[in-house]
Amino acid sequence: MAARLSSRREKFRGLSPAEFFYKNREIAGFSNPVRALYQTIRELVENALDATETHGILPEIKVNIKPLENDHVFVRVEDNGIGIPPTEIPIVFGRVFYGSKYQLRQTRGVFGLGVKMAVLYAQITTGKPLKVVSTQNKSKYEYEFEIQIDIAHNMPIIKNMAIREKTFPHGTIVELITEGNWTLARRKIESYLERTAMIAPYATIVLEELDSKKEYRRVSKVLPPPPETGKYHPKGADLELVKNMIRRSKKSLTLMKFLMENFDGVGKKTAENFLTWAGFDPETKLSKLTLQDIEILVRKMKEYEKWRRPKPITLSPVGESLLKQGVKRILNPSYVTAVTRPPSSFGGNPFIVEVALAYGGNVPQSDTPTLYRFANRIPLLYDEGADVSRKVISSIDWSIYKVKFPAPLAIVTHICSTKIPFKGVGKEAIAEVPEVEKELEIAIREAARRLRRHLSKLEKLYEVKRRKTIIGKYIPEVSRALAYVSNLDEKVLAKKLQTMLEKDIKTRGVINVPAA
Amino acid sequence: MSPRRRRKSQSAAPSEEEVLRILEKWGQSLTEQILKNRYPTLEIPVRTLSNTIWDKKRKILVLGPKKARRSFFDVGEAKRFMQTVLMLSIIVRARREGDYPTIRDLYYTGKHTIYYVDEMGRRRSEETWNDQRESNAVIQDIEVATGLLREHMGIMHDAKGKIVGNVIIRSKGYDIDLSRLGSGAYAVPPNVDKLEIRRVDADYVLVVEKDAIFERLNEEEFWRKHNCVLITGKGQPDRSTRRITRRLWEEFGLPVYVLTDADSYGFYIYSVYRSGSISLSYESERLATPEARFLGVTVTDITEYKIPRNYIIKATDRDIKRAQELLRYPWFKESKAWIEQLKLFIKKKEKVEIEALSGHGFKFLTQTYIPEKIKQRKWIV
Ligand SMILES: Nc1ncnc2c1ncn2[C@@H]1O[C@H](COP(=O)(O)OP(=O)(O)OP(=O)(O)O)[C@@H](O)[C@H]1O
Ligand SMILES: [Mg+2]
Repeated sequence: MAARLSSRREKFRGLSPAEFFYKNREIAGFSNPVRALYQTIRELVENALDATETHGILPEIKVNIKPLENDHVFVRVEDNGIGIPPTEIPIVFGRVFYGSKYQLRQTRGVFGLGVKMAVLYAQITTGKPLKVVSTQNKSKYEYEFEIQIDIAHNMPIIKNMAIREKTFPHGTIVELITEGNWTLARRKIESYLERTAMIAPYATIVLEELDSKKEYRRVSKVLPPPPETGKYHPKGADLELVKNMIRRSKKSLTLMKFLMENFDGVGKKTAENFLTWAGFDPETKLSKLTLQDIEILVRKMKEYEKWRRPKPITLSPVGESLLKQGVKRILNPSYVTAVTRPPSSFGGNPFIVEVALAYGGNVPQSDTPTLYRFANRIPLLYDEGADVSRKVISSIDWSIYKVKFPAPLAIVTHICSTKIPFKGVGKEAIAEVPEVEKELEIAIREAARRLRRHLSKLEKLYEVKRRKTIIGKYIPEVSRALAYVSNLDEKVLAKKLQTMLEKDIKTRGVINVPAA
Repeated sequence: MSPRRRRKSQSAAPSEEEVLRILEKWGQSLTEQILKNRYPTLEIPVRTLSNTIWDKKRKILVLGPKKARRSFFDVGEAKRFMQTVLMLSIIVRARREGDYPTIRDLYYTGKHTIYYVDEMGRRRSEETWNDQRESNAVIQDIEVATGLLREHMGIMHDAKGKIVGNVIIRSKGYDIDLSRLGSGAYAVPPNVDKLEIRRVDADYVLVVEKDAIFERLNEEEFWRKHNCVLITGKGQPDRSTRRITRRLWEEFGLPVYVLTDADSYGFYIYSVYRSGSISLSYESERLATPEARFLGVTVTDITEYKIPRNYIIKATDRDIKRAQELLRYPWFKESKAWIEQLKLFIKKKEKVEIEALSGHGFKFLTQTYIPEKIKQRKWIV
């Protein structure tokens, strides 16, 4: 046996990230031609939104999809974003784990992976490269590249490149030909774009298909305040992150100064108190720390209860007013209300819950509330049954809010966080983190209470209107009869009764009922 | 034989002018409320069993003190209010013009379509009333609210009562001798108070439930042989049959005997003649004959008169249920004899028709049963 073992030579080599994802594409959502096409559109549209709204630009996004022969599909996404510097273009599209969103703030993209998965998938299914045209505001030129990925080395291959005078002020156009089943993916993609239009009422989104064109014109010119780059909260930091921070710091820094400089909400007092509690001398130099010290430090940082709450500057909720406009734009309900909760946190991660509730109008009738879920403004379309929002909604007895099912009731939930607590790798359902669940319930119940007030007003209005009809319709008959018996003019009595009725209706105080 | 002396009636009818004045005053009060910007509201005594009171002393059913306020501005009452004043105006018109409509005429006169636009902006229509029950109900409301009976208001109904006997009445200027009608009988008119009873030559009144029995007794001239007045209401008696019965008792002091089948329905018919009915309790004072006597057929008669088995019918569940109800009515409950009869009925579950007495021959009823029962005072009350 021993002889046999020694006779075999093990070969060792590293696996490039590109190769890893090429082999495990289902992890990133590219599991089959239907899902892959949907995922491709998503990645491109989300990059387009990040390049606009995060930088104070009102998004103007055009999506073009054309099915070709052999299940090939042409996809083009055009934005008016900040553009990409020409030197960065090949690498942001050609190297897995390369991007500009590794700062701590709320964006749709996070990993530096998304668009590369789209490129990889196109490359292995159709063999066609990605084409990109981009220009920045300050530049006079636009740059065009055709890019593929060298999978083994995780590096871009530039197939073609051109520079010319620019034809648009700023933005990026990305084109690729990939394999996909448009007929089957179509409904999902359309509903993804519709929901994106709902959460981003300030965006104009156009979808051009082979045979039709759908346009969501922006209904607001107001952008939510963009998120600021922030520091990590000590509770939310892990060993790798802290090691990285120490590596980048001056070694002569004291532990106390290090904490103050690198973490959210840590001043001199807080740092001192914590370090003493954790058994460290605040004056210890970073150079003196052993790996074991760092491990203890990180553990204690997680255990410590007296940190200040994380600051939510890194978050960018849509806000009640915009959320309402977005919901109106898509659902055209007869009533809508929105609740943006104050910031909260779980495990050192700040988060904000927003909820909108729409009733009547074009909201479809259904036996349970129709749910629209968003995380960091990304629509979640799969695994609704496993999501915490659905759980909270199902636990509510809606009859106490005067809702009788089937009802035209829709609920929108939006969770913003620098770390969305997804359930599993699918990133489509949010886990039942108690803090998040509680905030969701408070927000939904608040919105539901407002709905109840609205419905009672409607009920009352209906009652009063009905009262007016019922009494009003008999006035001529009653006046005629009594006028005959009393030898009086029928018109006098009718007028009296009519005036009394109008007065009666007015005193019932229904003048300020919201218009349907 | 000398005619009966007339006594003074306590339930005389108001004059035509008086009737019109009361109706107009009632309508006028509503008009005035409107002119004073007040919600026009009617006050109407409640006509349900819960507001029906058994007057022990007078031995009649009367209306209790409960009144319902019916405001035109009450959504649930608006229609009934409209119906009430509509009916009032039709009756007032009939009085002013000297018309005598039947309740069915009133129903048709008032029935028409109201067109309106509803709260959703839809054009809709509605009938002032959908069936005669609705119009009859408001007539009753007007009766109880004004204290006037429909006969006073000149409203007719399909009268079905019949009468024969040594009685002379005067109607529209003609004297009518109720003993000279041959095989026929006099049909009691709707407004009995318009009749003048001029002469009565009889010892008692015999009221029979069934028309067939009435015809038989009339054919035999039972009333002539036994010196009585014979009346039938053909089942559940209408108001005029009850009124003429009462007048003969009240104005001429005639004892009244009631003869019905031996079953719950027969017993109840007797109690309607005697005490009044629940739905018309407001008019008992004029219609009831509180001293009426139940001659038969009683439950005990079945054994006492040895009615042959083949004439005995098994009582249905409904008969029994009805008898149990009767046991709860105060006017039965306060009579020992009736409690006994009803309990026996419930126990034996047997009923018989008057015709069962023919088991002893066709002449048994007229020659034996009726005279014997009256003579031996074998009636119950
Ligand atoms: N349309 C665009 N306009 C401007 N910059 C873009 C555009 N698309 C991609 N980028 C740049 O390319 C980078 C890489 O994009 P990629 O989609 O691979 O990753 P990401 O968006 O950072 O994160 P994620 O993997 O979560 O999508 C982005 O960080 C961004 O800097
Ligand atoms: Mg991305």
